Amino acid sequence: MNIWENLKMALSSIMANKLRSLLTMIGIIIGICSVITITTLGTTLRSTITTTLNSLGSNVMEVYVSPKPSVDSDVAYDTISPDDFITYSQVEKLVKEYPDIRIAESNYVCEASSKNSLGKEVGTKITGAYNGTLDNDGSRLLAGRMISMDDVSKKKYTCVVTNVFVRQYFKNHEEPIGQTIKLVSADNGLPYEFTIVGVCTYNSLFSGAAMGREEDIKTPVYIPNSVAKEMQGSYGEERYMYWLLSFDPKTDGKIAKANVASFFEKEYPANKNFETIVFSNQDTMKIIDIIINVITIFVAVIASISLIVGGVGVMNIMLVSVTERTREIGIRKALGAKKSTIKFQFVTEAIIMCLIGGIIGVVLGLFNGFIAGVIANLVISSIPTAKQVLGTIVMVPSVTAIIISIIFSMITGVFFGYYPASKAAKMNPIDALRYD
Amino acid sequence: MAKKLIMMRNIIKRYYIGQPNELQILNGIDLDIHEGEFVAIVGASGSGKSTLMNMIGALDRPTEGTYFLNDTDVSRLNDKQLSAIRNKEIGFVFQTFNLIPRANALKNVELPMLYAGMKKKERQDRAMDLLRLVDMQDRYTHKPNELSGGQKQRVAIARAMANDPSIILADEPTGALDSKTGHMVMDIFHKLHEKEGKTVVLITHSPELAAETERIITISDGSIISDTGVTEKIKPESVFPGTEVSAE
Repeated sequence: MNIWENLKMALSSIMANKLRSLLTMIGIIIGICSVITITTLGTTLRSTITTTLNSLGSNVMEVYVSPKPSVDSDVAYDTISPDDFITYSQVEKLVKEYPDIRIAESNYVCEASSKNSLGKEVGTKITGAYNGTLDNDGSRLLAGRMISMDDVSKKKYTCVVTNVFVRQYFKNHEEPIGQTIKLVSADNGLPYEFTIVGVCTYNSLFSGAAMGREEDIKTPVYIPNSVAKEMQGSYGEERYMYWLLSFDPKTDGKIAKANVASFFEKEYPANKNFETIVFSNQDTMKIIDIIINVITIFVAVIASISLIVGGVGVMNIMLVSVTERTREIGIRKALGAKKSTIKFQFVTEAIIMCLIGGIIGVVLGLFNGFIAGVIANLVISSIPTAKQVLGTIVMVPSVTAIIISIIFSMITGVFFGYYPASKAAKMNPIDALRYD
Repeated sequence: MAKKLIMMRNIIKRYYIGQPNELQILNGIDLDIHEGEFVAIVGASGSGKSTLMNMIGALDRPTEGTYFLNDTDVSRLNDKQLSAIRNKEIGFVFQTFNLIPRANALKNVELPMLYAGMKKKERQDRAMDLLRLVDMQDRYTHKPNELSGGQKQRVAIARAMANDPSIILADEPTGALDSKTGHMVMDIFHKLHEKEGKTVVLITHSPELAAETERIITISDGSIISDTGVTEKIKPESVFPGTEVSAE
């Protein structure tokens, strides 16, 4: 008695009672359908958040001073002084030691405007920058180079402008790199001249810019922070409680983070109250990932409780079916079917029933997910800011969840089909044959 | 003398053993049936003939006594072995046909061969041959509810022949049929017996039907009260494919 024959037999008896089989399956269908819907929403949520966060600088981390675990943090913060902070020279040394690590701080100076060759004034925001500022601003370099640490240390009057600025300023499509622009500070009316060394993208999200015509947007002009500080008239060494850093996306984030951590363990002065901690955006993402996973699994488990209800439904119908088919079981036994054959036949039937229910459930669940995606995109596209942040949501079904659901529905079949099947198998052929 | 197919010695069957309503149905049956015989077991209802049939058909084990079927001691076998014996040695024909309702005629005939593990092609070919034997080849796709009583019984006989059993065990095979179709069915048994040399055991309460056979065993109150005796005859060559004839 091979498996194939058994499957055909099971299918034929399921098909013999189509409506009843379908009604029996409904519990399983609903159970699996909800699990798949939930996991699809979960994975979609996760992938949307991950993509959004990635565009916001997944290679950014921060190093900050934090009270040592052994110290009462209230006491520590009461006595905190700039001596406890991390200094620029420490960070500069780090960047020299590890060329793949960058400083991502930025320092807004003032608004400034520049007249182009047509005499039109283009507004900008002068921003002090380091070699990694673009990473934290969600921009990337399109041409030329970024402000270098050399520019910073030598206080060069170089700048990086956005492609929006290039469109606003160079109306005759001149090559921007190498050009010198004259920026007049809106604060004090003083003019400053900078040579463009690079062009980057403009991320409106980060600049908090309003909507409107591109002509009117004021985009940042990145200049070496040392120059920016002079413009601001500040001369002391920078000391901060935390520094934003970034790393070359080509390097492993874990290694970069470990390097920064070990550097500051050595460099940060032995402090009574404070130690340094490195926290990367990837850590944030990991935490968000865990939270979403926990929520998804939690809700999916609740949803899968309905599978038990579905399973009981299958068991109930299998018991009815076994009783109804007592005579058939008797005939089969008289014709030489062994106990195991009968048991296998009925278990197969239960498994097939649950499997079909499971597959229908998966299909419906995916369909639900798809509908949810369409609705979400409709809602998002009606809110411009949401559209900008999230873009178009792509539904991501969880393949693992689909596989687990299908396997789980089959296990439900085995579990709830076993008792009715062994009841059938144990029947005495004489009694079964006499049954009406 | 042909080979002894059935050898029962002192077969006793009791029900509700150890309980106040303990019931003894068979009181020590001794019975020999030889290969190639056409035997009728007759008795009124409640005489114990159905219980005896269950014993012969390996559907049940005796409480006491020994039963050798084709040299196998059936009284010592477990459930699994009994299933195998029923599958290979016994061909059941029931009063109520007992075809599987969802399966067509061909599938019904195939079923014992399926349980015997025969390959699909071989199974189908043999099932078609057997349907031809009972003149049902044109209706092989019909389901039982599309067949008349006589046709159902013919399919059931084809099924009983599936694994070329040692014995065809027919329990009131004409009981649910009108006399005309009943005769037709009996003719098939005669054909199987005469042309195939099959051993046929017919359980009936009808003296007319019993009279058609070669040997009548009468059972009453759990004992054999008369036996017309063993008849000897020479078996003809088989004219049907797939069925063996053994003449010893």
